[in-house]
Amino acid sequence: MKAASPRPDTRSFSLLSLTVAAALALHATHLPLWLSPPLALLLALRWLGFRRGRRFPALLRYALVLALPLGVIATYGTLFGRLPGAALAVGLLVLKLTETETRRDVHIAVAFAAFTLMSALLFGQSLPHTLLVCAALWPALAALLALQPSAGDTRAILKTAALRLAAALPVALIAFVLIPRLATPLWGAPSLQQARTGISASMSPGAIGQLLVDDNPAFRVGFDGPIPPRSARYFRAVVLWHFDGRTWTPGRAAQHLPLEPVQAPGPALRYTISMEATRQTLLPALDMPLQAPTGARFTAERTLLADKPVDHGLRYTLDSATTYRLQARLGARERALALQLPANDDPRTRALAARWRARYGDNAPAIITAALRRFHDDGYRYTLMPPPLGRQQVDDFLFDTRAGFCEHYASAFVFLMRAAGIPARVVAGYQGGYANRVADYLLVRQADAHAWAEVWLRGRGWVRVDPTAAVRPDRISLGAIAAAQGAGARWYQAAWLVGLRDRIDVLNRLWDQTVVGFNALRQRGLLTRFGVDPQRWQSVALALGGALAVVLALGLALALREPVAARDTLGRGFDRLERRLARRGHRRQPGEAPAQFMERIAGNLPAAHASTLRELSTEFVRLRYACTQPVSRLAVRDWTRRAREFEP
Amino acid sequence: MPDSSPRPHREPLARLPQALAQVNALVLGKSHTVRLGFACLLAGGHLLLEDIPGVGKTTLAHALAATCGLGFQRVQFTSDLTPTDIIGVGIYEHEQRQFKFHPGPLFTELLLADEINRGTPKVQSALLEAMAEGQVSVEGETRALPSVFTVIATQNPLDLAGTFPLPDSQLDRFLMRLSLGYPDAAAERALLTGSERRALLRETTAVLDAPDLLALRERVRAVSTSPAVLDYLQALLAASRDHADIRAGLSPRAGLALLAAARAWALLGGRTYVMPEDVQAVFIAVAAHRLQPRRNTERAALASVLLAEVSVRA
Repeated sequence: MKAASPRPDTRSFSLLSLTVAAALALHATHLPLWLSPPLALLLALRWLGFRRGRRFPALLRYALVLALPLGVIATYGTLFGRLPGAALAVGLLVLKLTETETRRDVHIAVAFAAFTLMSALLFGQSLPHTLLVCAALWPALAALLALQPSAGDTRAILKTAALRLAAALPVALIAFVLIPRLATPLWGAPSLQQARTGISASMSPGAIGQLLVDDNPAFRVGFDGPIPPRSARYFRAVVLWHFDGRTWTPGRAAQHLPLEPVQAPGPALRYTISMEATRQTLLPALDMPLQAPTGARFTAERTLLADKPVDHGLRYTLDSATTYRLQARLGARERALALQLPANDDPRTRALAARWRARYGDNAPAIITAALRRFHDDGYRYTLMPPPLGRQQVDDFLFDTRAGFCEHYASAFVFLMRAAGIPARVVAGYQGGYANRVADYLLVRQADAHAWAEVWLRGRGWVRVDPTAAVRPDRISLGAIAAAQGAGARWYQAAWLVGLRDRIDVLNRLWDQTVVGFNALRQRGLLTRFGVDPQRWQSVALALGGALAVVLALGLALALREPVAARDTLGRGFDRLERRLARRGHRRQPGEAPAQFMERIAGNLPAAHASTLRELSTEFVRLRYACTQPVSRLAVRDWTRRAREFEP
Repeated sequence: MPDSSPRPHREPLARLPQALAQVNALVLGKSHTVRLGFACLLAGGHLLLEDIPGVGKTTLAHALAATCGLGFQRVQFTSDLTPTDIIGVGIYEHEQRQFKFHPGPLFTELLLADEINRGTPKVQSALLEAMAEGQVSVEGETRALPSVFTVIATQNPLDLAGTFPLPDSQLDRFLMRLSLGYPDAAAERALLTGSERRALLRETTAVLDAPDLLALRERVRAVSTSPAVLDYLQALLAASRDHADIRAGLSPRAGLALLAAARAWALLGGRTYVMPEDVQAVFIAVAAHRLQPRRNTERAALASVLLAEVSVRA
């Protein structure tokens, strides 16, 4: 059976290899490290081998086919799920190439490669990612075309493949808009169980040796009105009450507290947040949110929790008070939680707090000032690469290393406050963000994740205190990246680069809002505007069928159109000249030959123009009829230029 | 001038203008038709002259033959002419005790078949077969005709009593069909006051000879045709095939004929490449007699319509 199908040509195999390489590259970011480099090597060796006409040793292939699932199971514990599935698919795809010896194999491999490429979209649907997946389909299609016996040269194949991809766009667009989207997916993409930088529901400052600056967008905020100043842009996401000496967590006891009331709210800001997919339920909100949007609820501390993890981006609109009084009266349970400290840890810190307590008594603002002054004056520095901390983490940080980032300062500050008898808690979220100058919105990156403190003061409720600002005020005024990098990255702030980044981010935002964020709700909104009811399948089927019929009819009309012989440059140049002459009343008769025509027109023109036209005619005849060799492009371009310059 | 001596130029191409001028001096006021006739000879095709008697058909044939230095035979077709009359016959020779072939007038370089439509279909087809094959089979033996063998046939389109009109399939064998028509006033005056044509023909000296003609035919075949010209030529063929007034369009053989004639015309214009103008110049002469009109339309008029309707894509 296989012997009947002839061996595919090298060009087709090379294009297929290119597709597989692209699929491998797109998946490489989340494949296990032991898998991607050997697969890349195997692909390269196989490609070279095929070019030399060698077959891949069958025994080795069988061994690899056996080893792959074993390796995947060893890594993930299962073959099912998004990550193991992707690893298995990419691995099998490369192995498929080792047995690709016939045209039929190429067909199968291309289909498989297309599936693997599509599965890369499960890991990211950003604009560049999607474009890369589409671009990788190009060599895949070209590989199929190269199998045809009538395939032309590679340029022609690539051109045809690009045209076919472009022709598929309208159909893809119709399917995108009209195929009904489900409010709850029929089968959910399994969530990523992967640690991400940014915020999480716990915080262990000492455990982090180096904070990687994650430049990916976290969310974007469009304000109804001007963007508030940077110092007011604190987005709370999670409140951490409980400290066990190493890790801050929300604490189980805090789950059942009543919602903290907001009193005396100042003027409210209305804004809309577009979240990136976080696969978490935490939703950031500007201090201090007044109500929860649909699909989310408040925790007691007025942070927002979505009803389900944000897997594909989310948009919500909020109102926040810029001045407020949060929980003016502190209950006993809350007070106990806000004073909790791990037993017997960090004696030096406790002693320091006790000294302040002895000096300032109940004057909480004085104690806070003393703590902030200590951070500012006593040689503390801000760094994303803090030295390691020992067992007594807060002591080590406060008295020895004196270097860290926001989590260290927030953690130490809250510890100090609690030890001094002031109710305090850690708030994690985002701070600052970047105001896009091209479009009026705020871009908040994962790198803008921040931790600060809230202390409860009698009569004022929970008051935000940011100890990091005492160490490095520019962390608040410039952002984490600038604070960490200092002046070394001045090129990064070059005006043109900033403008370019702004524009790219506007594109990304547009993509997220129109494509990734096109969910069931927005589809319904769009379709009802055109009289299509997405709830009734007849209506959708009619619209889908109608739209596809229109596209097919247009395509058919294009295909059946009188085949126009491709015009070369010289022909187009002459057509242009002819149109220009016709506009001046010099029309060519249907049966009139070009040279004849130009000669006739020259007879009616003043001498200077006539001789130019005759020269053009002579040269045209030479290029068009006399040349036995392919005419030189230079001469043709020269002629078209002269024809363009000719003004009768 | 590098060479002003009267000695004929070695290059036959250079002697063509002289040859044209000489024929034009004999057939007055018909330079375009004469040029077409030359093109037909250069393209290696046979020529059909269709006109009323007395306008110079025979003179043109004679002039062409004399100027090109070709052996010339004339056959007057009548209804009692038999194939052997033109092909020749084997006669038994007593001394040698065998049949000896006595070649007929066909074995010449230029044959003038006068009033070809007066001959019977039998003799017509014998001639046309010789024209197509360049050889004849007599009594089981194939005899080659001279390599430049060319037929110039004449017929009178008006006096049709007792004639056998050539069927379309045989008209196709002629590369061109030409009509001379009446001369204009000046030419007619020159004809009336000048010497007798027959005497002039006798004084005519050959400018070319048969090898020259063969060499020129080789040159014609070397004339280049660009894709643009072939596009135009094919557009003409295609238009003839689906024109409403045409029952049968131009055959592929007609296309080849058109190309050969256009090449010859280009060579006569001193070029080594074909232009659309060349195709147009020969189109009516080559195509008109091959078109079968659906209604009672003049064939030449149909060809002109095609020329006017088919646009020349640059």
